[in-house]
Amino acid sequence: MIQLTRVWKKYQIDDDVVFTALKDISLTIEKGEFSSLIGPSGSGKSTLMHIIGLLDKSSEGEVLIEGRNTAELSDDEISTLRNEFVGFVFQQFNLINKLTIKENILLPTTYARKKIEYDPGKKADEIMERFGILEKANSYPNRISGGQQQRVAIARALIMSPSLILADEPTGNLDTKTGDEIMKLLSQLNKEDNITVLIVTHEQDIAAITKRKIQIVDGKLA
Amino acid sequence: MGFIRSAFFDFSRNKGRTFLTSLGILIGVMAVVLLTAFGLGLRAYIEQQFEDLGSNLIRIVPGNPLKGGSFSNPGSFITIKFDEKDVQNLSRIREVKLIVPVYSKTVNIVSGNNKESSTIYASNEGVFTALNVKAEYGTLYTDQDVDKRSKVIVIGYTLAEDLFSSAKNAVGKSVKFEGQKYTVIGVTEKKGGGGFGGPDFDTFTYMPYKTAYTFNTDKTFMAIILQTKTEEGIKPVIRQVNEILLKRYEEEEFSIIQQEELLTAINSIFGIINTVLVAIAAISLVVGGIGIMNIMYVTVTERIKEIGIRRALGARKSDILIQFLVASVILSLIGGIAGLTVSYIIVFFIQAYFPAYIDLNSVLLAVGVSSAIGIIFGVFPAKKAADLSPIDAIRYE
Repeated sequence: MIQLTRVWKKYQIDDDVVFTALKDISLTIEKGEFSSLIGPSGSGKSTLMHIIGLLDKSSEGEVLIEGRNTAELSDDEISTLRNEFVGFVFQQFNLINKLTIKENILLPTTYARKKIEYDPGKKADEIMERFGILEKANSYPNRISGGQQQRVAIARALIMSPSLILADEPTGNLDTKTGDEIMKLLSQLNKEDNITVLIVTHEQDIAAITKRKIQIVDGKLA
Repeated sequence: MGFIRSAFFDFSRNKGRTFLTSLGILIGVMAVVLLTAFGLGLRAYIEQQFEDLGSNLIRIVPGNPLKGGSFSNPGSFITIKFDEKDVQNLSRIREVKLIVPVYSKTVNIVSGNNKESSTIYASNEGVFTALNVKAEYGTLYTDQDVDKRSKVIVIGYTLAEDLFSSAKNAVGKSVKFEGQKYTVIGVTEKKGGGGFGGPDFDTFTYMPYKTAYTFNTDKTFMAIILQTKTEEGIKPVIRQVNEILLKRYEEEEFSIIQQEELLTAINSIFGIINTVLVAIAAISLVVGGIGIMNIMYVTVTERIKEIGIRRALGARKSDILIQFLVASVILSLIGGIAGLTVSYIIVFFIQAYFPAYIDLNSVLLAVGVSSAIGIIFGVFPAKKAADLSPIDAIRYE
């Protein structure tokens, strides 16, 4: 489903200083996988996730998403892929505070290019019910707990029925108990909904829950 | 819809900032709308004044007042005067409804101890029809009064008040001027005017022109007024008048002035002045627009993170661009509509003193211009927002 071939990411820091974040990464993620990308901070794992999630571009190498070379896609086509193919879950939740919980969850549908076959409002209600946040539908993000906010973020990631969920340190801002619940939820989505899940983390405990561990150190796969 | 709600949410959270930014547009729109309203009012007022003077009128005067010289100083050429023979010749033109010879002189009218200066308008009975003059009290003089050289006069409302303390009292009273005694048989309706340098008809004295021969010993006229039967008749009559007069006078010795022509000339002068004023006022709109641009840049910077989130969720560049354009247009429109509202209130109160009014064009212009300013000055900040790299935006703290 996702295929990276000899991907490099370099940043021009100064006129003659180049920082290399990713070195020669080749990686394949198959449909239905439940994997983690693990590495210490500064290892380049977030950069790699951003490239997989089409938020960033590689400096060299090929990134194929379902066989399509992302280098050949226009900005609009990449936006559409982000909308339909990927669902992001961030450490900081990244909800929009002026929108209600339900509006946050529905936000990706407002950017949908394809015709949505289902009733988005109904689907949002179903997801909220499943995640136990239905009674918070009309609350605002800063009025609910961190665990609830992360559930909202996952619900938002799910609303467009994506093939892939990318979770960047999803438990990083949560206490252990709430973090476990979120991990359980992600694992459930992989098992029951057959969604490919890739979790970026620096914690071995979290990575241990996943079926496949991808180690990254100093921008290289170990 | 989401964009509009989102924009209003941001504005309500920054009420002071929204108010101050819109204030720039408010002042600009108000300046433009009010100046336009005053211009329109002034034009309507002038047209009304002309209409009150009667329509389909042609004035024949000596000299060339519209080109060089003036009414009071006809220039260096010899001044001619018209006489009864001209009146007779001109009365043969078929399309002419009325022909009104005018002899005019400023005199001091005495009644008892009161003495008032007044412009004598010595003419035939047609002057009342042509100039749209009606009697408020008493009657107007007739063709018989003209032929019999009756010593009667009709005076303006203000003059009557000044001479006899009340206009009603004037009828039947005697006055003296130019060594003769005359009876006031009528007082004309109030016409107003006298503003903007025009004549104040309410201080005029009308009398039969033949009666005036006692002091108009040459039996001449300063002007001849023709009223045509129809508006279409004006052009052909002018041509015939020209032909007839050229038999006795040189081309530059007389002028034929068409009322409408004068009106057009005055209107075009006021139009230019008004356009210049409105253009100056429009500068404040540009300043207001710069204010909007400034605040939109601030808004974009404040919302970089949100832009990143939206792009991560699939928003395209154009979605972000439109979101910020909608916000800036709304901001500008708030100012525009507020400016229009304030203008309406000002015009409402000022109408008692000045005939200003706001027409549909001004409303459309205000709304259109403020929308346009929102777009023009919003597009650069919005473009900046749309061109942010998604990854830099979402990482922004």
